Amino acid sequence: MSLLQLIWAELKAILADKTIVITVFGGVLFYSILYPLPYLHQVPTEQQLVVIDHDRSSLSRQLIRHADASPKISVIAELGSIDEAKRWIETGRAHGLLVIPANFRRDLLLGKGVTLSYGGDASYFLIYSAVAEGLISAGLDAGQNIQRLGMLAQGDNAKAVEQSLNVVKLNSIPAFNPSLGYTPYIVPGLFLLILHQTLLIGTGILGASQWRAQGYWQQVSPLKLVCGRIAAFMLVYSLLSSYYVGYCYYWYDVSLQASIGRVALLMLPFLLATSAAGIAFSSLFTRRDLPTQVLLLISMPILFVSGFVWPTALIPEPVVAISQIVPAVPGIMAMLELNQMGASWQSIMPQWLQLWAMVAVFFALAYWGVSKRLKPVS
Amino acid sequence: MIKALKREFTALQDDPWQLALVSYIPLISIIALWLLFSAGLPRQLPVAVVDLDNSQTSRALARQLQANPVTKPISYTGLPSAEAAMKQGEVYALLVLPYGLKRDLLTSKTPIIDIRYNSQFLLVGKLLSSQLQASMADGLKPLGELKLLAAGVPMERVAVNLSPVSSQTTALFNRNNNYVGFLVPPVLIALLQLVAMMVFANSLNRELRWNTTKQWYQLGVYKVIAAKVVFYTPLVLLHGGFILALIYLYLGLPIAGSIAVLLIAQTLMLLAVWLVVLTIFFVLKDSARVISFCTAMFAPAFAFMGVTFPTHEMPQLAQWWRVIMPTSHYIETHIAVVSYGQSLIASLPQMLSYWGFLLLLIPIGIFAKKGFAESELAATSEAANSMALKEQ
Repeated sequence: MSLLQLIWAELKAILADKTIVITVFGGVLFYSILYPLPYLHQVPTEQQLVVIDHDRSSLSRQLIRHADASPKISVIAELGSIDEAKRWIETGRAHGLLVIPANFRRDLLLGKGVTLSYGGDASYFLIYSAVAEGLISAGLDAGQNIQRLGMLAQGDNAKAVEQSLNVVKLNSIPAFNPSLGYTPYIVPGLFLLILHQTLLIGTGILGASQWRAQGYWQQVSPLKLVCGRIAAFMLVYSLLSSYYVGYCYYWYDVSLQASIGRVALLMLPFLLATSAAGIAFSSLFTRRDLPTQVLLLISMPILFVSGFVWPTALIPEPVVAISQIVPAVPGIMAMLELNQMGASWQSIMPQWLQLWAMVAVFFALAYWGVSKRLKPVS
Repeated sequence: MIKALKREFTALQDDPWQLALVSYIPLISIIALWLLFSAGLPRQLPVAVVDLDNSQTSRALARQLQANPVTKPISYTGLPSAEAAMKQGEVYALLVLPYGLKRDLLTSKTPIIDIRYNSQFLLVGKLLSSQLQASMADGLKPLGELKLLAAGVPMERVAVNLSPVSSQTTALFNRNNNYVGFLVPPVLIALLQLVAMMVFANSLNRELRWNTTKQWYQLGVYKVIAAKVVFYTPLVLLHGGFILALIYLYLGLPIAGSIAVLLIAQTLMLLAVWLVVLTIFFVLKDSARVISFCTAMFAPAFAFMGVTFPTHEMPQLAQWWRVIMPTSHYIETHIAVVSYGQSLIASLPQMLSYWGFLLLLIPIGIFAKKGFAESELAATSEAANSMALKEQ
């Protein structure tokens, strides 16, 4: 059996196995739509806020209007007491509250300080930060208005007032993901993980169903089988990766900085290492339903340890060290740096070499595992 | 019934993977996931500081970052090296103190301090943006004070003049913005659902693998299913209890309501998971495919819970998908009990939201009646496999 024939036989075996087709093709296509689905609206806006206005003056009403004008907040009701607001938040009708103290306007005009209280439901951080940001900017605005009026009344000219109100301009701008959107944040890393996991499951199921049966895989040497299988899965996954990294990244507004050649050069060791790891991993199983279960259990830890959801610096070092044996961990980081953050090729060199080292190690393991599996039968 | 229960017990003993799945695997996974987030509060996040002014003022501002527990300033002499560090993810934000900062301040011009934060890492980026702005605003206050004093404003009025409206922001229900309290419960609940799904699917698949479907039907279809439910619900619930004990008893995170209510809610969630798995099992009747299909369904459950990204901001289609995930029903009760101290009576309406899962009883009934006639042939090859396994 020549290598080309073997690759052809592998491809036929992959396509003939309904479970692998469901997982590899079905899973990849299904997840490309399902996973980003909740995040399609990108940024939480118009969070429901209730106001407790103890002042009922022109200024407090203006403040409420300003808060309502913020894109992050929508004022849905004015309530009489904080207890009532609490009930609204507990029943999920509102997510934040603003308390305007009594004598708000009078104290400000007299030049006394006043304190506005904001509260947000921190059970949901994204909602809380939207409420807090919106209210703080509305509050600052009201404060500046008062200051401006006071200074103008004292006879300062308008231009000088403007300057002394803004001593320094803080120009705070998000880099790499300018819209602060949720899909550009989640999609690049997550999609690589989906490719990684489905590839491992695919090779795992294929191996697990073959070891105890008769077929073409016993007619070739283990080395040839490993090479042929890697080649077959590389063919399938170069297509699926093009769909994910090429089309889906673009479709979900992910920022793209690297050239196609560089991305391909990064994907090459990533896919090679993953398929070799998958074949090595498959030699552990003879039950077809087990590889999926094991990989499902480790998906979430891999996602969180890869460093884009939760900073690596805060994860205990032993956990980070163990995670380095998973191809997805250096793979995701290298992809984010290269393609989303525009780093130079030199700076992802360590991860790239690490991936090639994994190719070597997992290939050796795959060879060892497969030859062990094939020995007793032949 | 007791015979069916005994049958489950012997089956469990014969299956090392299933045994692992109800004993140490969930424990290891739970502890591993908790360890990842165990830091709880983000601290000492590296920030690149490029001081082009090198004046007393700019150094004072840089020191301000040192004093903030969230940020750890790292000095860079030039913009290019800081930029490279930012692109490599070594620092999560970049602060540029411009040349002539002090001079501009003294001569009443408005200098611009540039902050760039890494929003590709959204969580860290947003946090740093607000922390850096707060640090800078605080660091600039002494300058404003000096200016006001020089203009003849009396000392007592300086603070009020600087910021007439001060604000008091309260993070309700999670006072110090602890990520363990926010992120770990939903992550672990998603894990519990996966484990529950696998345990039940394996227990059903075993009948196919060992070709015991005939025996199953002789004993009575629903009797055996009931035995499986009675047998596995407490076992999985034990892990759910472990999650709650770890977070709210061992780590001592605040919980306003009672854990008992949460356990009842978890039981209902498990029953809903069982119904979904049963439906998929009776429709597909193939062990690997059942697992693949259940995995495809339940793996993204965390994204749909609406804890990280709010539910009411999801598109309609996502909200529909969310409804068929038992975890999203549970998590609402969980947050209400933990944060708002909801009582059992108030939780009942939420628990009734599971009623839709009862509709699954119809397809289960139809497909269970059909039996396994056609699939038995396919199952024999699998059975041969497992026989070979047993011989070893």
